[in-house]
Amino acid sequence: MSAARLLPNGFAPLEPFVAFWAADTLSGRDTCRLDSSEEQRLAFYGAAADLAGQAWDYLDGKPLADYGAEDRRLLYLMLSLVHVALAVEVQRDGEAEHASGARRMPITHCHTDPV
Amino acid sequence: MNEHTPSFQRPFDDALKGLGTDPIPAGVYYDPDWYRLEVEAIFRRTWLNVGHVCELPEPGSFFRCELEFANASLIVARGRDGAIRAFHNVCTHRGTQLVGAARGKAATFSCPYHRWTFGNDGQLLSAPDFERFYIDDKASCNLAEASVDVCAGLIFVNLDRRPRQCLREFLGPMGEMIETLPVSRASAWDEYVYEIDANWKVTFDNFQENYHLRFIHKRTNGAPPLETTENPYNYPMGFELFGPHRMNTSPGGSVLDDPPKPLLLQLLGRMAAQFAEEGLTGGAHDRDYFIFFPNLYVFGNPSMHFTHAVLPLSAERSRGVFRFYWNGEPSGARAHLARELALAFAREIHTEDGDVLMKGQKGIGSGALDHFHFQSQEVMCRHLYHSVDRMVRDYLSEKGGAR
Repeated sequence: MSAARLLPNGFAPLEPFVAFWAADTLSGRDTCRLDSSEEQRLAFYGAAADLAGQAWDYLDGKPLADYGAEDRRLLYLMLSLVHVALAVEVQRDGEAEHASGARRMPITHCHTDPV
Repeated sequence: MNEHTPSFQRPFDDALKGLGTDPIPAGVYYDPDWYRLEVEAIFRRTWLNVGHVCELPEPGSFFRCELEFANASLIVARGRDGAIRAFHNVCTHRGTQLVGAARGKAATFSCPYHRWTFGNDGQLLSAPDFERFYIDDKASCNLAEASVDVCAGLIFVNLDRRPRQCLREFLGPMGEMIETLPVSRASAWDEYVYEIDANWKVTFDNFQENYHLRFIHKRTNGAPPLETTENPYNYPMGFELFGPHRMNTSPGGSVLDDPPKPLLLQLLGRMAAQFAEEGLTGGAHDRDYFIFFPNLYVFGNPSMHFTHAVLPLSAERSRGVFRFYWNGEPSGARAHLARELALAFAREIHTEDGDVLMKGQKGIGSGALDHFHFQSQEVMCRHLYHSVDRMVRDYLSEKGGAR
């Protein structure tokens, strides 16, 4: 018997990334990026970048209030991918230096965080 | 105008010429005696942005605000009557701080020491065994107030109980302009904060000149070969001065796809579509960067619609608070993406500044230089220097005159 599904249909290839990357707060997603290894970021980016358009279309297809746990995990995963895209596509080999600067500029409030 | 002046550079008018071209004395960026004068002449008697009305959504909502430069802690609260007030977080019995929480909701504030209890309008409501005091007028024991007022939803306080100018008069025409921005309708905010070993003006100046962009922000802002663009330094399209305040118009910018950024560009496209659909783009001030004396920026750009306040902590240390303001909860996943990307991308850029600011302060603070230099496109920094200098000198002459 297979384990319970973590993500909506069509996004199974991203399930291995849920445990580390699907943080439910903005500062949590930022911390995932800053604490991750380059190997972790590249693995997540490599698996998720091509699915991102499909995932955002899926997520846009229903009201946030109707999201189930699987939808929320996909949303958090895709929001984490925003931060990973900045690391992989913008900072590239400068990410370690960038991360030390980002730690000095912590995110202290986010209106979309679960209360 | 010489033949090399590019079209983006507005010819300086008389107001800008009045700022001169002299080198700038380095001492005012680290000297503790000058810093103390700035605190007295400016920060203790000027309107300072400390928050937004959306933080006080209902009667009883409050937040605490630390103004270290004055050793002051304020409680900013909405009373039962709906009015916003600012009080010193100091019990009028023996001075104990009343509130430790950063924010919350409370009908009353009680002193932990002897349980003097104040209403959220600052009135002393009760004090155990009050008959044993030698106080005729209980109202004289109400919490000490600071001045408070609101513009564009932004809450400003002034430690001067009788400000020389009301807030609107102080903010001038730029106050009316920011009232047209989304911040004035905001109901929610996101925030990131930094503390840095740099004088508040060193920190602030970094955010009012574009000269450094292609060197410090080459990854986020791009640094195209100098000869391939008319404005390789991304200088503002123009500047304007309003008393001690100033504004410039951003030349806009685009994220260069070199090296390739396929995912980021896709996400930025979704963000832009979302903000357009929400009607946030296309306003008269989309590219305007409002810089209020002494320490506040408000950027009109809908995809970077932030405020940034820089508070002095000491002669060589400051704290910056970036706030992104939003109207309502995200309407859907794309709105959530847009807000998160807007903040993350701005912070990506701002993170790149910290290291060079600390290096700048180390150099200036060493005393090696008597003077340093601002070029014509660093005129906003020069204007801040002049505004500070004038106010400190006015303060000294007032003080001298009072003797």
